[in-house]
Amino acid sequence: MMAKSKTAQAFQGSKSIKPGGVYWVRYILPALAFYVVFMAYPMLDSVRLSLYEGTAGVRQYVGFANYVRLFTDEVVSKRFWNAFGNNWIFFAYHMILQNALGITFAAILTNRTMKGRQFYQTLIFIPCTVAVLVTGYLFKMMMNPLWSKAPLAKIGLDFMIHSPQGWLGDPGTALSAVSLVSVWQWVGIPTMMFVAAFQGIDDDLIEAASIEGATPWQQFTRIRIPLIVPVIGMVAIMTFVSNFNAFDVVFAMETLDGAPNYSTDLIGTLFYRYGVAGQHPVGIPEPGVGSAISTSIFCMLLCGVIPVLVKTQGKE
Amino acid sequence: MEQVSALLAKYEELTGVKIVFQPTTSTQYNATLRAQLDGGIGPDLFYSRTCEAGAELYENGFNVVCNDIPGVMENFTDVARSGFTADDGNIFAVPFAAVSHFVYYNKAIFAENNIEIPATFEDFLAVCQQLKDAGIQPLSNGIADNWDILECVLCGMIPNYITAEERVAYEKGERKLNDETMLRVFTDFSKLVPYLPEAFASIDNDNANVMFGLGQSAMLIDGSWSYGTLAGDDYDIEVGFFPIPAPAGLTQGFSLHPDFGIAGNAASTHPEEVKAFLTWIASVEGATEAAKVIPEGFLPLINADVAPEGSIISAMNAVGEGKPSDMRFVWNMRTLYDPMVEQLNAICRGEQTPEGAVDAINALWEAELAK
Repeated sequence: MMAKSKTAQAFQGSKSIKPGGVYWVRYILPALAFYVVFMAYPMLDSVRLSLYEGTAGVRQYVGFANYVRLFTDEVVSKRFWNAFGNNWIFFAYHMILQNALGITFAAILTNRTMKGRQFYQTLIFIPCTVAVLVTGYLFKMMMNPLWSKAPLAKIGLDFMIHSPQGWLGDPGTALSAVSLVSVWQWVGIPTMMFVAAFQGIDDDLIEAASIEGATPWQQFTRIRIPLIVPVIGMVAIMTFVSNFNAFDVVFAMETLDGAPNYSTDLIGTLFYRYGVAGQHPVGIPEPGVGSAISTSIFCMLLCGVIPVLVKTQGKE
Repeated sequence: MEQVSALLAKYEELTGVKIVFQPTTSTQYNATLRAQLDGGIGPDLFYSRTCEAGAELYENGFNVVCNDIPGVMENFTDVARSGFTADDGNIFAVPFAAVSHFVYYNKAIFAENNIEIPATFEDFLAVCQQLKDAGIQPLSNGIADNWDILECVLCGMIPNYITAEERVAYEKGERKLNDETMLRVFTDFSKLVPYLPEAFASIDNDNANVMFGLGQSAMLIDGSWSYGTLAGDDYDIEVGFFPIPAPAGLTQGFSLHPDFGIAGNAASTHPEEVKAFLTWIASVEGATEAAKVIPEGFLPLINADVAPEGSIISAMNAVGEGKPSDMRFVWNMRTLYDPMVEQLNAICRGEQTPEGAVDAINALWEAELAK
């Protein structure tokens, strides 16, 4: 009783801070306002927009017609599911290759016997600091047989060029080539996050394990990995979300059409073509269809993100 | 950009009205303009695309109607105006410039191999073969950009096979897109495929230009707008051009596509100044000034000889002189654009026959017309 009233007395001194009150609201107000104006409102408005047809000036309410068109119209639905499938392949490359490489690099970088750690860490991170348009364009040139075949032939490496079409010209290899460039560029991000996570593990645990006779492999799989599961979950979600929003790497390497033959078309490029730019050459955008694409993808992402969050977070 | 600034400076000098030029990158132009107009922060004056793309902005109320701008009716041909006429008959922009499509050739390579400019499509194929036999890459066109193979190559060829009236008949469905004429166009197109570079699937329009500019190919089929770059300081080749030749027995046509006009923003806060500028640009006087600074390879649409003497505009106009001209085939059938690119790509890859291609395109257009 005494303690309680003492606490209450302490709070009485200040009118603004009352336990159980909503005094904390003011601290999140700036961020909340920013989030509402620049994120939540546009997002909800785009859901509304997906129920309309036409562009500014003459906008007409059409109910779910845009969705019906998106999923039943022969051309639009073919493009949508094609882009959707491509996006999963694009995501798989990142999820499997980029994140596995990230964990491997992080494990090596946090090894106490590792020499020149800073150097390698910087090396791995450098590509993340370069604009996607630049790396995309450089790789586009490097992979183009027109420019790279002759120089590579001089040093006997022309087998690396997928001749005659080129990695980016062959519908069978283009998506993999684009994905790998993106993996190469962004592998530094998960690496840094995993490095931080590994460094957060108490050395005592590892020491105790090695005294108990655990091999380094056992330490890695039984102690270090389980302890960073929340980070793995976070990285997985980030990969998922950023991959389904991907646009720039395809734009830089394969045009807005997801050339060749729509084999690198992602949801991002499809959305841009329908919703923002309009199909070449006419350039009449259909914001309604674009919004329907983005709303559908938003729902799908949500279905993917929530289970991962539930499964991996809160297991500190 | 310099050219537009020069034109606007001239206008300021004449009238005292200063117009600020805010360029965007060309590939982002449609999207940027559209976003600005939608958001109510559109420019007073803007470049207008032709046909549906331009008309759509007008239908949304963004354009000043140009019917009563002095000069629009008098100084332009019906063909020039038709690109800027909406379905309701109103003219939504002052016609400004057209583009054409040519076969560019490297004069030195032609001279070394004693090649004359081919007069017929058959001769053209023979030239390609002769070059190929001599170990010279005949054409540098590729398909990686998904537009130039259709807009420059196929649409450049079509005026040799059909007239403007026949194009309209195809658009209306009075002629079938898989008839003998169209099949012939696609068959002739497929005859060019062996002369494309080996890596054509990875070659975009820039690559094709660079390849030709560096002398790595003897010819390039591209738009008239590329002339300035190809003949400019970037490359040290001598460039000539000729229209894609018609097959023997057919009339040589000239592909002349109205490319852009100048439109006024209906919501402008300076309506009088906007009209004054449009009037000036629609006059012979204004068009003459514009022709002096228009980028090389763009042909003024005004029905008067405004080309500076000895300019490339005169040379290009001379190629088209007296030949039946028409706009790009697919421009009024916009849903066919992507499918046609796809079919052409498939033909190039050897995955489609000309017969299959025209059948597929015809089926799509019949379905569209049935809607």
